[in-house]
Amino acid sequence: MKALKPWFACCLSMLMLFFTVIPLASAAQDNQNVITVGLSADFPPYEFHKNIDGKDQIVGSDVEIAKRIAADMGATLQIQDIPFDSLLPALDSGRIDMIISGMTPTEERRQNVDFSESYYISRQVIMTRVEDKDKYTSVDSLQGASIGVQKGSIQEGIAKDIKGAKLTSVDRIADIVLSLESGRVDAAVMEGPVAEGQVANHSDLAITSATIPDSDTEMAIAVKKGNVELLGHINGTLAQLKQGDQVKKFVQDATALNSGEQQKSNNIFTIFWDYRQYYAKGIQYTLLLSAAGVLFGFLIGLVISLFRLSNMGVLRWIAVTYTEILRGTPMLVQLLIIHYGIAQTFHIEFTVLESGIITLSINSSAYLAEIFRAGIQGVDRGQMEAARSLGMSHGMTMRSIIIPQAVKSVLPAIGNEFVVIIKESSIVSFIGVADLMFQAQAVRSITYSALNPLLIAAAIYFIMTFVLSKLLGMLERRWSVSDKR
Amino acid sequence: MINVKGLKKSFGKNEVLTGIDVDIAKGEVVVVIGPSGSGKSTFLRCLNLLEQPTAGEIYFEDELITQRKYDIDNARKKMGMVFQHFNLFPHKTILQNLTLAPIKVKKTSPAEAEKIAMELLHTVGLEDKRDTYPNQLSGGQKQRIAIARALAMQPHVMLFDEPTSALDPEMVGEVLEVMQKLAHEGMTMVIVTHEMGFAREVGDRIIFMDGGQIVEQGPPEQVFGAPSHPRTQDFLSKVL
Repeated sequence: MKALKPWFACCLSMLMLFFTVIPLASAAQDNQNVITVGLSADFPPYEFHKNIDGKDQIVGSDVEIAKRIAADMGATLQIQDIPFDSLLPALDSGRIDMIISGMTPTEERRQNVDFSESYYISRQVIMTRVEDKDKYTSVDSLQGASIGVQKGSIQEGIAKDIKGAKLTSVDRIADIVLSLESGRVDAAVMEGPVAEGQVANHSDLAITSATIPDSDTEMAIAVKKGNVELLGHINGTLAQLKQGDQVKKFVQDATALNSGEQQKSNNIFTIFWDYRQYYAKGIQYTLLLSAAGVLFGFLIGLVISLFRLSNMGVLRWIAVTYTEILRGTPMLVQLLIIHYGIAQTFHIEFTVLESGIITLSINSSAYLAEIFRAGIQGVDRGQMEAARSLGMSHGMTMRSIIIPQAVKSVLPAIGNEFVVIIKESSIVSFIGVADLMFQAQAVRSITYSALNPLLIAAAIYFIMTFVLSKLLGMLERRWSVSDKR
Repeated sequence: MINVKGLKKSFGKNEVLTGIDVDIAKGEVVVVIGPSGSGKSTFLRCLNLLEQPTAGEIYFEDELITQRKYDIDNARKKMGMVFQHFNLFPHKTILQNLTLAPIKVKKTSPAEAEKIAMELLHTVGLEDKRDTYPNQLSGGQKQRIAIARALAMQPHVMLFDEPTSALDPEMVGEVLEVMQKLAHEGMTMVIVTHEMGFAREVGDRIIFMDGGQIVEQGPPEQVFGAPSHPRTQDFLSKVL
């Protein structure tokens, strides 16, 4: 029993961490009078993160519109920051009620969702490096140039029509900026106000005089197909806003708010210090996700490995199928299926945190199951015989003789898996879990600094995994007391 | 106490036991000898069903343990077994090795189990090792602990599967001494061994096995002194 104590302490602290953070994360749900808007908050001046009085807030002209709609409906507004790509699935699966994210009502999108009247018309511009400003004066001059656009955006569609241009689609505006600055792309197609915000913060970037024909795009609010009632409310509010030309004013205000954000210095240490709260929160979520992932992965993996070694063919088949499918498909795909697919098909809505934990748990359980199987098979057959000869049942022998020895022998491999999970947990930022990676992305879009926030995140990930490896090494040495000769 | 009728055991096409009939009485010390591959270990392991017999019947204390649905754990509680390679539990202390099964299987109270364990450790002369782990012991010490672990269940019979074969020669004595003490206390014992001197001294009956069957059996003086079967004579001439 003595040898088990450090492990129990470890589990216990994980659980405690789990229960202290969960309530904080999943509060404020289940209110009839809540309207949830989804947006991709890296799109100043329409929607972006801003540090106001030391608190991170999502602001912008679209947010103002959302507030007005909610106020008119007498509902509380809830904002979910979701990558642009994932907005439509989120709406489709009912996780959000509407999208206000500078979205253009294309024919393709209309097939899946319903759009409001358009509330704003934006023009598209070409952004490039200052020294190339005069090189690209028209769309024709872009022939042979490589162009950066945001994945899934209307600009991607526009850029596709530019003859002879090579397209590079990336997730975030900050990535486009980084690609431009590093010379990986020559130009970028962007919404006018968005580009202006970037240029104001990056002295090495400029907007060219080129105009793109037929590129003026409307923006409209998306709701789930057939949600006529909500659409009516939205159009009512929009009509009112249009009368006073208020949307334009929202955009102007937001542009002003955004340019006030200008960073004094993009020094990596300044960024870290100024945004330490973002990173602290991110670390909290990353640790919670990894700890829960390993804990549940450990338990599920153990059960699966016992299935795998069972005498019953059905159980063995289940275990083999489970591990092969989970190990043979990308975790990102699993994450999206669990988060959006299950909500859509079975109407079970997990919070983003729950989806993240479930994905990490089942994914790591498949790997841990294989590790346990090797560990269990590695225990000397004589151990089973000796225990059985004393009258102990099979289950009793597994619990008190075989599994403890197996777990001990595979502890280094389990520790390795823990380290892998910490790193791979960064994937959950995709559905909007506010983990370390997510926070780094937020800081990127606030500071207009494309690289440094990522370097900080990398350093933090490294410190976490390095410290963990050392701790596991110590635990391993303590466990090996009985091996001393 | 143990009655074996027509016991057969095959591994695939290889028939290891070709039909064994034997009765072992309470308090009797039976020593099984024979050349390698004669099936003596398999025979012993069939007695507590570590090997499932292919055919035949085994009665333990008048219960047919080879019948389907018989709860073999019930019989194993009363049959101690000692293995060639000790098979102590490496992640448990010596004391835990001795108390685990009594507490889990017999539901003995931890205090009572510890009391019994300490008495047994005293008997095998290893009281001072109670809190060490098996890997810190010598082979001879390990086997004495393994005997004590089996005895902690207070069995009615003890099975020994070549208990001294994996030991360095200088450690054989200490283990045999413990076994001898046990025999003198009246424990029913079935011993598979290559220690002929010990067999002669301690055994009430010697069983000589070859080719998966019992070739000859009887009191030690008879089997060792005047073996009647040529194969027994041949075997003994080689080992003595």
